Amino acid sequence: MSLNQAIETAPPAVPLKVRFGGWGTALILIAVWLLLIAATGLYRPDFFAHQTMLAIAFTMAVVGVLAVGQGIIAISGGFIDLSQPAGLILTSLVAVRLSEAGLPLPLVVVGAVVAGMLWGAFNATIIVFARLNPVIVTLATNFIGLAALYLIFQLAQVPNGSEIYHLGRASFLGLPAIWWPMVVIILVVGFLMRSTRYGRRATAVGGNRAAAKARGISLRTTRYATFMAAGGFVGFAAVLFASAAGPFNPSSASTLQLNVIAAVILGGISLAGGRGNFWMLLLSVGFLSTIPTALVFFGLSSDTQSIFQGALLMIAVAIDGYRARRGAP
Amino acid sequence: MTDATATTTERTLPAYVVPHRPIRQALTGSVASIAFTFIAVIVVGLFWVGPKFISAGNVSIIGTFLIVPLIVGAFSGFALLAGVVDLSIGSIVGLSSAIFAFLIADGWPVAGAATVTLSICLVIGGLNALAIVRFGADPIAATLGMLTALRGITWVLCGNQRMIPAFDIDYFTLINSQVLGLPLFFLFAIGLTLLATLVVTKTRLGRHVQAVGGDDRAAGRAGIPVAWVRTFALLLSAFGAGIGGLIYVGQLGSAAGATGFGLEFQVYAALMIGGYSILRGGVGNPIGGALGLLAVAGVSNILDLKAISPYYVNIIVGLLLLAAVLLDRIRGGDAYE
Repeated sequence: MSLNQAIETAPPAVPLKVRFGGWGTALILIAVWLLLIAATGLYRPDFFAHQTMLAIAFTMAVVGVLAVGQGIIAISGGFIDLSQPAGLILTSLVAVRLSEAGLPLPLVVVGAVVAGMLWGAFNATIIVFARLNPVIVTLATNFIGLAALYLIFQLAQVPNGSEIYHLGRASFLGLPAIWWPMVVIILVVGFLMRSTRYGRRATAVGGNRAAAKARGISLRTTRYATFMAAGGFVGFAAVLFASAAGPFNPSSASTLQLNVIAAVILGGISLAGGRGNFWMLLLSVGFLSTIPTALVFFGLSSDTQSIFQGALLMIAVAIDGYRARRGAP
Repeated sequence: MTDATATTTERTLPAYVVPHRPIRQALTGSVASIAFTFIAVIVVGLFWVGPKFISAGNVSIIGTFLIVPLIVGAFSGFALLAGVVDLSIGSIVGLSSAIFAFLIADGWPVAGAATVTLSICLVIGGLNALAIVRFGADPIAATLGMLTALRGITWVLCGNQRMIPAFDIDYFTLINSQVLGLPLFFLFAIGLTLLATLVVTKTRLGRHVQAVGGDDRAAGRAGIPVAWVRTFALLLSAFGAGIGGLIYVGQLGSAAGATGFGLEFQVYAALMIGGYSILRGGVGNPIGGALGLLAVAGVSNILDLKAISPYYVNIIVGLLLLAAVLLDRIRGGDAYE
């Protein structure tokens, strides 16, 4: 199983030709995305209406920020964080309660992000001290977290007229205001992950944890750092989610999970850890967020959405597995 | 003289020969901890709820709800053992019930409809195997995709009504018949679990599955056809889920878009509590898995009878799950850093 820790395998030497493999993925993603847009636009010219772009941008915003968190976990060798739905709802609830208390928007954002980081630290504590696999730990904490949230509340919504309420309805340069922070986050995190010591360390741990440990990188610290950072992004995504989603209940975020994982894998961030480019998330998130809207324009019911998304995910993982087996980066 | 040779041979035993200690094994193995948990649940039930907790009436209520999870768990346990977790079982149950109900409503005989349905399930298992075994896709992510796609197909099949009524009186009577005060198919599911245990522990096939899950490279060097064993395990898992779908249609007299939704988490949480692992193969056995399902069902039954919010069940299941994986690691599972 590729989720097992690959300690023995040394990274193969990279021939020059394969180094362009990453950009190949980008080109394919752009091509497929444009093809989808063109096909839908030819079939139904009203697809190009401003309204459509708003719908797609809304979906992109939440999924994109969550995907950054998921990507940090995956690239650092934490495989998958299955507790994102519970974390997102928890932090959304924090955002709602804080804005009900009348706090200004920046404080609401800080509160949600800190709550998300605490959630991440909670997961990391179990993982680090019990030395258990993150996939199972986050599966269990998601279970526990959602059940506990149901005991706390059934339905919540940001108060009408509050700052966060206006944020969800504002627009900037023709696109929803909540779309822009997502783009900035992906670009900045993508830069930080490749060009700073911390990003490189996290990637190194994901690529080969034995070697990273031998070089003096603390695995515990890395695990805490990555899970808390990912939790912080979940908290920020929660602000975007709560501002635009309307009333939500504890299971409202469960459908996002799959989109996020698919976006990470399609974007070429390997679940086995150690490789991936965060900028690619812009393309994969955009493509995946276009599918639901495009299908509606083709007159297909929203049920068919999941058929396409599921099949796409399977194909993406099969390609990911095939590449890993061939030893390409 | 003979004594001396005996001691030397004992001393020169290589370190990797595991001494056979059946009693110690029985008290510390994976089945033991779930057996103790199971007994603890019964004791708590007896003290808190009273003797009616183990009355035939209550057991048959628990049993009726457990038929499908037990059957699905017995089959998908093979996939876990072989190290290829199949998350799509819940959606296969849903699709199987939708196709079966669709064909019955279309006037097909029950046997013909069941054959077609199960064949389709085998094809789905084959697709899972193609992605995972042939292309080396990560099992969790690949079957997560299958889960989503099949749920979509099920919704489309169920149409705007969100359900397909399919009532066949003979089939309904058969599925819901009782023997000795217990549901017939509950007894069948338990029999199937015992049979699966025999296959896992006593046959060559079972040992091959365990070996592949334990260490696929070593199994491959030992001449075990790893790819075929994994394919077979995934086919079995899909087949078992297909049977689960057929039984739901018999129990409910219809199929709905949400049939089997979330079943994979219910089953795998219980199987992991029962000693299986979804991240490494080769551990656990069907009896442990069945006891895990019974223990979780017992907990939720106790909370039901005590009129406590069902959300506490999920919290207890989550904590049990963490405890079970911790135990598994202490018993020799992979430590994660």
